[in-house]
Amino acid sequence: MEGTKLEEQDASPPQPTPGLTKGDKHEEQGLGPEPAAPQQPTAEEEALIEFHRSYRELFEFFCNNTTIHGAIRLVCSQHNRMKTAFWAVLWLCTFGMMYWQFGLLFGEYFSYPVSLNINLNSDKLVFPAVTICTLNPYRYPEIKEELEELDRITQQTLFDLYKYDSSPTLVAGSRGRRDLRSTLPHPLQRLRVPRQARSAASSVRDNNPQVDWKDWKIGFQLCNQNKSDCFYQTYSSGVDAVREWYRFHYINILSRLPETLPSLEEDTLGNFIFACRFNQVSCNQANYSHFHHPMYGNCYTFNDKNNSNLWMSSMPGVNNGLSLMLRTEQNDFIPLLSTVTGARVMVHGQDEPAFMDDGGFNLRPGVETSISMRKEALDRLGGDYGDCTKNGSDVPVKNLYPSKYTQQVCIHSCFQENMIKECGCAYIFYPRPQNVEYCDYRKHSSWGYCYYKLQADFSSDHLGCFTKCRKPCSVTSYQLSAGYSRWPSVTSQEWVFEMLSRQNNYTINNKRNGVAKVNIFFKELNYKTNSESPSVTMVTLLSNLGSQWSLWFGSSVLSVVEMAELIFDLLVITFLMLLRRFRSRYWSPGRGDRGAQEVASTQASSPPSHFCPHPTPLYLSQLGPAPSPALTAPPPAYATLGPCPSPGGSAGASSSAYPLGGP
Amino acid sequence: MAPGEKIKAKIKKNLPVTGPQAPTIKELMRWYCLNTNTHGCRRIVVSRGRLRRLLWIGFTLTAVALILWQCALLVFSFYTVSVSIKVHFRKLDFPAVTICNINPYKYSAVRHLLADLEQETREALKSLYGFPESRKRRDAESWSSVLEGMQPRFSHRIPLLIFDQYEKGKARDFFTGRKRKVDGRIIHKASNVMHIESKQVVGFQLCSNDTSDCATYTFSSGINAIQEWYKLHYMNIMAQVPLEKKINMSYSAEELLVTCFFDGVSCDARNFTLFHHPMHGNCYTFNNRENETILSTSMGGSEYGLQVILYINEEEYNPFLVSSTGAKVIIHRQDEYPFVEDVGTEIETAMVTSIGMHLTESFKLSEPYSQCTEDGSDVPIRNIYNAAYSLQICLHSCFQTKMVEKCGCAQYGQPLPPEANYCNYQQHPNWMYCYYQLHRAFVQEELGCQSVCKEACSFKEWTLTTSLAQWPSVVSEKWLLPVLTWDQGRQINKKLNKTDLAKLLIFYKDLNQRSIMESPANSIEMLLSNFGGQLGLWMSCSVVCVIEIIEVFFIDFFSIIARRQWQKAKEWWARKQAPPCPEAPHSPQGQDNPALDIDNDLPTFNSALHLPPALGTQVPGTPPPKYNTLRLERAFSNQLTDTQMLDEL
Repeated sequence: MEGTKLEEQDASPPQPTPGLTKGDKHEEQGLGPEPAAPQQPTAEEEALIEFHRSYRELFEFFCNNTTIHGAIRLVCSQHNRMKTAFWAVLWLCTFGMMYWQFGLLFGEYFSYPVSLNINLNSDKLVFPAVTICTLNPYRYPEIKEELEELDRITQQTLFDLYKYDSSPTLVAGSRGRRDLRSTLPHPLQRLRVPRQARSAASSVRDNNPQVDWKDWKIGFQLCNQNKSDCFYQTYSSGVDAVREWYRFHYINILSRLPETLPSLEEDTLGNFIFACRFNQVSCNQANYSHFHHPMYGNCYTFNDKNNSNLWMSSMPGVNNGLSLMLRTEQNDFIPLLSTVTGARVMVHGQDEPAFMDDGGFNLRPGVETSISMRKEALDRLGGDYGDCTKNGSDVPVKNLYPSKYTQQVCIHSCFQENMIKECGCAYIFYPRPQNVEYCDYRKHSSWGYCYYKLQADFSSDHLGCFTKCRKPCSVTSYQLSAGYSRWPSVTSQEWVFEMLSRQNNYTINNKRNGVAKVNIFFKELNYKTNSESPSVTMVTLLSNLGSQWSLWFGSSVLSVVEMAELIFDLLVITFLMLLRRFRSRYWSPGRGDRGAQEVASTQASSPPSHFCPHPTPLYLSQLGPAPSPALTAPPPAYATLGPCPSPGGSAGASSSAYPLGGP
Repeated sequence: MAPGEKIKAKIKKNLPVTGPQAPTIKELMRWYCLNTNTHGCRRIVVSRGRLRRLLWIGFTLTAVALILWQCALLVFSFYTVSVSIKVHFRKLDFPAVTICNINPYKYSAVRHLLADLEQETREALKSLYGFPESRKRRDAESWSSVLEGMQPRFSHRIPLLIFDQYEKGKARDFFTGRKRKVDGRIIHKASNVMHIESKQVVGFQLCSNDTSDCATYTFSSGINAIQEWYKLHYMNIMAQVPLEKKINMSYSAEELLVTCFFDGVSCDARNFTLFHHPMHGNCYTFNNRENETILSTSMGGSEYGLQVILYINEEEYNPFLVSSTGAKVIIHRQDEYPFVEDVGTEIETAMVTSIGMHLTESFKLSEPYSQCTEDGSDVPIRNIYNAAYSLQICLHSCFQTKMVEKCGCAQYGQPLPPEANYCNYQQHPNWMYCYYQLHRAFVQEELGCQSVCKEACSFKEWTLTTSLAQWPSVVSEKWLLPVLTWDQGRQINKKLNKTDLAKLLIFYKDLNQRSIMESPANSIEMLLSNFGGQLGLWMSCSVVCVIEIIEVFFIDFFSIIARRQWQKAKEWWARKQAPPCPEAPHSPQGQDNPALDIDNDLPTFNSALHLPPALGTQVPGTPPPKYNTLRLERAFSNQLTDTQMLDEL
């Protein structure tokens, strides 16, 4: 770059404008400023980049050719100070206005506003996955012994606390009451709550803030590792206390289950679902998968992602949905865990785990429950527009479930993570990572203490799970509403029960309480999609900027490029002049002086109001080959030819363009 | 000069339209760049240095590309909608409420029609499952009497079959439409009672006319099989019964509605209109009276809604057709068809069901914003319902029309299209097979109904919240039931039972109405101003600039090209004319101005400039003083008025 520039300089001075050819040239210019096509400068003649010789020239060029409206008046009108000042004020005003507007526009854009779109689509819908649970936890044979022992102790505890002698079925347990009692840690106790101490002593965790008039509470004690800190998990109701206590021990027993359980025999399952139909076609084992939930019993998931071909609903209505007949007989595997009878149904997406705690419908026995669904989808804009995550990969919580990211999955995983960190073992109801074992007080004596503390922290969001777990960007939800009717009807129950007993070993004496029917269907195939879209896009932002810019300035991006070019030119010219001065001072001072003089003289000689274009260099360079080096006619004469009323005073232009050309 | 040439010249002189003033395209470009208001172009010409020029060309082209791209984006996003949600608080029109008993007809009234069928069903149960003969039934003896002389009518036509578990897999293939002969034993023929093992499944076989093409339908549960089988025959029988008779067999409004309260005022059966549904019998619609104003509620809350006590006579239930007890409620717009089976909410007996409503209205924009239809007139499906268009109506109409087309008769559950009859196997022996095939095709979207039917643009929906409570309470039933019995004394002569009654409350939870309205997000003014913004932003261009560009780049461009071609053609012609004299000078440059000579247009200033400089004959004596008076402009074209300059020279 530098080299070319210098070359340029060296090359151009020996191109003085010869008088004769000049005349020739002027004649041609008189005919038209445009040279004819064959006379256009060729590539060799025109340099790669040419720079103006002086500031004046540059400014004149700029003023002549700029497209910035106000700037021309400000910079280029030098006649009248008043006028200049006026234009300066105007320019500043419009400049301020424009940037104020720009600020507003950018502010709006960078606040990332979204607008809500509600689309009402109607489409063939994929039937969601449906999970149905018996609400009867199953008694695994491997832990049968321990559970029986727990039952016996519970009986004993109930008797001790409430003087309630429970069912005679467990009389067998009474034989070893006294000694068995001591084998379980955390015994259930009746506690007297001192009134004044209630507020002060933080060690007693009060689940019921209401004043207990009896002053007695039921609870059990939990201590940390070295028994230095203990608290009582208390309940105002004995039912809650016993159930919670029982659950606590049940969890411990469950954790001793071996890793690989023999899968439950299909026989126990087939008895739960009497009949299954989807879309008027009966379904079979291939359509559902089975798992056992420690609290909700046997659970069957219909139409989950393992299903070979997903069920589609192309028609709404009760006839085009899933219809199930269920057994709700109470086998009462574990009476203290499940106090409700019926079944629990939950509708969820195919790739979401079924959180039976979080959502679900309880089905009453003896009733046909018709659950109508309406799909609703929500799409959030991620990125700058909102705080959501596309697939959970950017959430600092490891997904322990083999399913896609949802907020519930994340929160459960987060809790489990904290549990493992704090307590050293995994909570049984959530999946555990590799090489971590489930909590059991035989191995982790203080996990109960740790768990309840953690639970409190979790609820008050000290663990930060709720802030860590971000919302997923797209959520599909199903709004359920239910209708109930008695089933079977009086007139039809006779043959229905008979049929069930013949085909499914149903014991008729249960009558209505042993069966339930559920229909799950789409109420309508219209579904609402709430989606967000950026309300100010880049395109509209640019359009608005352009409008403002045009309104106030009438300039464009290319004008800015012009400005940039001007500044670049200024810098380069300054640099070149400094360089030249430097060179002339150190190598040939006389020449340098003259050059400087020349610059000064040309500035003085050319009138300030010359708005002359600079096509001349082109012509001059065209004429370059015309060999007339002997000519010494001084070019400044042309400037004196007239006051240059016409901007086309090419003479003046040439004089200013070649300040160094004279010698 | 010939007179013809003179005239030609005159015409040329006076012709208002002249061609572009630049002789070549390059000239034209140059002229355009120097004179246009569009930024960037001028710099291309004015800048010095090749790289600079190249850069400026690049900048300008980039700006043009950006403008085009951004404008294209604007155009493509023109048809977007913005949604506004408004919540009004006002007096709301109460929707129409249709109430149906789940059981369509009083069994005592309809029994004479269904006697054969019932008897055969019982027989099927007995033979299939080894049921003991019902002793408790009052009219058990009538069964046996009928049984004696009857030839099994229904099971002969469509027999119930037993399939082995091993064959079940094969039989299931029939749902996918593949034909297969299944060995089934027709149970009715067998005299001995068979006990069905749980490994066996029950189903029935439907065949087309020639019985070569059969489809078997099996059911995992016998209950479903029996019900489905019964329903098929039931539809056949009921299809032959005239409508008036059916209405009489069903429940009357006085019977169904024991009490009625609306908005704190008592109402009675006269406020209800009859609506006969083929599968649910007589249904009654509240607040749908013709020529009457639509009722509205002035307050939210259960006190100000509709309160009815329904008499569900469980004794009169058809044991095989319906197995659940209760009523169905549909909440819909006055001009909407109540789809009892699709959107109905069940009500349980001996319970009070409170249904709280919340109204949401949606308005969509139709074409070109979305594919919805205002009134269904642009959907090529004839609406066979006497109701306003909805997607559901369209789907059902489409199916029914196809059914009439393919099977020759109409399905019982939906209204009749004109000139069609309901299917029964007296007239259409194989309609069931046809129906099942068609239904399968419909579900698998082979009929094209789903693609033809569009959703409606505006609809109202009521979001329902249902809650239940035991009713009547143990203490209140002591006085409640006798009073209600006394009330109903005219219709029924028996003491009301708790399980025969159901109470229903329907009310607005609040009088907020939510309207979801779509409005165009972009108007044409917005689009234009955005265009203006883009043009201004990148190049400070305007519509005039665009016109200029069109003028220069299209009209002038092509006229120059055309002129060139014309010249060439002329030259070629001239050469062809004068081959015998090769010594003639080929190019007339020496004597004439080529532009003037060849051009058919008026000589322009530019073309005049083409006067060759008379090579080598340059006389240096020409004095320059004239130059200043030439008033050369930076742009030559300003003086292009004519060729006066030439004359001056």
